[in-house]
Amino acid sequence: VLGTYKEIVSARSTDREIQKLAQDGGIVTGLLAYALDEGIIEGAVVAGPGKEFWKPEPMVAMTSDELKAAAGTKYTFSPNVLMLKKAVRQYGIEKLGTVAIPCQTMGIRKAQTYPFGVRFVADKIKLLVGIYCMENFPYTSLQTFICEKLGLNMELVEKMDIGKGKFWVYTQDDVYTLPLKETHGYEQAGCKICKDYVAELADVSTGSVGSPDGWSTVITRTDSGDSILKQAVEAGIFETKPIEEVKPGLGLLEKLSAQKKEKAEKNIAARKEMGLPTPY
Amino acid sequence: SERIVISPTSRQEGHAELVMEVDDEGIVTKGRYFSITPVRGLEKIVTGKAPETAPVIVQRICGVCPIPHTLASVEAIDDSLDIEVPKAGRLLRELTLAAHHVNSHAIHHFLIAPDFVPENLMADAINSVSEIRKNAQYVVDMVAGEGIHPSDVRIGGMADNITELARKRLYARLKQLKPKVDEHVELMIGLIEDKGLPKGLGVHNQPTLASHQIYGDRTKFDLDRFTEVMPESWYDDPEIAKRACSTIPLYDGRNVEVGPRARMVEFQGFKERGVVAQHVARALEMKTALARAIEILDELDTSAPVRADFDERGTGKLGVGAIEGPRGLDVHMAQVENGKIQFYSALVPTTWNIPTMGPATEGFHHEYGPHVIRAYDPCLSCATHVMVVDDEDRSVIRDEMVRL
Repeated sequence: VLGTYKEIVSARSTDREIQKLAQDGGIVTGLLAYALDEGIIEGAVVAGPGKEFWKPEPMVAMTSDELKAAAGTKYTFSPNVLMLKKAVRQYGIEKLGTVAIPCQTMGIRKAQTYPFGVRFVADKIKLLVGIYCMENFPYTSLQTFICEKLGLNMELVEKMDIGKGKFWVYTQDDVYTLPLKETHGYEQAGCKICKDYVAELADVSTGSVGSPDGWSTVITRTDSGDSILKQAVEAGIFETKPIEEVKPGLGLLEKLSAQKKEKAEKNIAARKEMGLPTPY
Repeated sequence: SERIVISPTSRQEGHAELVMEVDDEGIVTKGRYFSITPVRGLEKIVTGKAPETAPVIVQRICGVCPIPHTLASVEAIDDSLDIEVPKAGRLLRELTLAAHHVNSHAIHHFLIAPDFVPENLMADAINSVSEIRKNAQYVVDMVAGEGIHPSDVRIGGMADNITELARKRLYARLKQLKPKVDEHVELMIGLIEDKGLPKGLGVHNQPTLASHQIYGDRTKFDLDRFTEVMPESWYDDPEIAKRACSTIPLYDGRNVEVGPRARMVEFQGFKERGVVAQHVARALEMKTALARAIEILDELDTSAPVRADFDERGTGKLGVGAIEGPRGLDVHMAQVENGKIQFYSALVPTTWNIPTMGPATEGFHHEYGPHVIRAYDPCLSCATHVMVVDDEDRSVIRDEMVRL
């Protein structure tokens, strides 16, 4: 249920600054920053801060400081794939890294297989970090949760998180929660038929599920992904623990992944029943 | 006397026919060259659309020089909307065109290789063409977004400036390419001169027309001196006149030559005429264009704005965009009013050359005819402006789209 992989570990960044900025273990920021510093990539397309609070815009980061500015999960879509071409063209990057949710990962892999409209672009992607994703919300949905359901102002939000059956919102002084039940129906329509929870086509996938707070579960999937993570661990960028020794452990990840697949299968079957097209 | 017909003429872009009357010794007494490519009609397609549509659509006129068409189109609309393009935007446009000149001339060397390159050098020459094209197209990819149909050449300037990393990378790459281009140009000129084509082949007495050494300058193209006649009143053979698919543009009432040789005559005091001179001018122009591209990359400010704000409603002013395409002066005219294109017309390089090319074959053996034609590097796809109205007898008439 976790796709093809080489190894699974629990890890976190050793950089205190990244720990503070990051959503969980700081894997995406740490790994891209390491690849950047080592010249494995020359730049990375990440979800940077946008004009509105919590509405990210894709950004080409060419230094680790720029990467840090983009750290942390945003629960609405950042069209990073759109920016890949510009990163290779106007930015002149020949070795590119990026971070993507499962659906974007599929899109990128497809572009690499059939490079229509991305001539000399798809082959420049050297590191694709995938993040676990159960569903993604349109920006207006986030506004509904935070402004209407919780009565908060977007500007005051410091961090958002999903875990333990709740949608968490952190402000400077307080923590608010919303049961996940209340978020149902507000996700992007496509998420309902998506069977990929753990970015099965990425070089390296990561997310909090399965590891303790402040740590992330990291799955290496390709030779290049595996060797970059090993080098980074060796260089002391990350500390790791065997996944078997941490709580709640792999079981939870497998359970959620299986749930997403199962739910999607049902929705796909229902759509087929109604004669609606589905991409699977 | 006898009539020799080559239809279609080969190793050129698009379809055309060369009809030569020859005397008993095979010497051409009368040469006529005309387009038989079907009409594109793109000017009609863009009429009534938003101005941004025009550059995207007209660049599809042809895959050989989409870049000059895109540039001429945005220049024409810039002019109609009275837009002043920021300096960095102008430099990036010029860089795109300079790189395209290098690429396009290299393609022509591939087309004429069987005429001049001996078998033992063929592989070298073709590899050299490929190497040059790869690098030139890389520049267009990076600066204009896409090598074939550039997406980032926009009304008002360019979509984006390039980054410092990209600038340095392009600069280094073109510097590295320079010895390669020099060597290639030397090889081609050497082979062309050693071929022993008869002296005076392709020489004609028509004037040359060019607006700028590399980029193009609308102030050097005077619309009042331009007239256009239909093929019926130009070709003295009614059969040919009926089938010819392009109008005959005249400057000061005369047909002209445009292209690399014309540019060198107008701006560098080049005196040579004829087939060999045209090839030499084309080869030398690769060096000029490359040098200009390197110079632009050296002076480009990558933090400067590249696109001006503009009001797209327009005042109905007739805007003119004059771009020196690899094959010669490419003029697009556009009129924008109420946010829509009211009128659009493209007056393209090979259209200028068509009436000059036929007579240029005269006075030599008809076997040299194709040499004369190829020296102009004709590209017919965009040149066609009149439509076949009767498929039975294949006659053509003036279509409204050419009316000025």
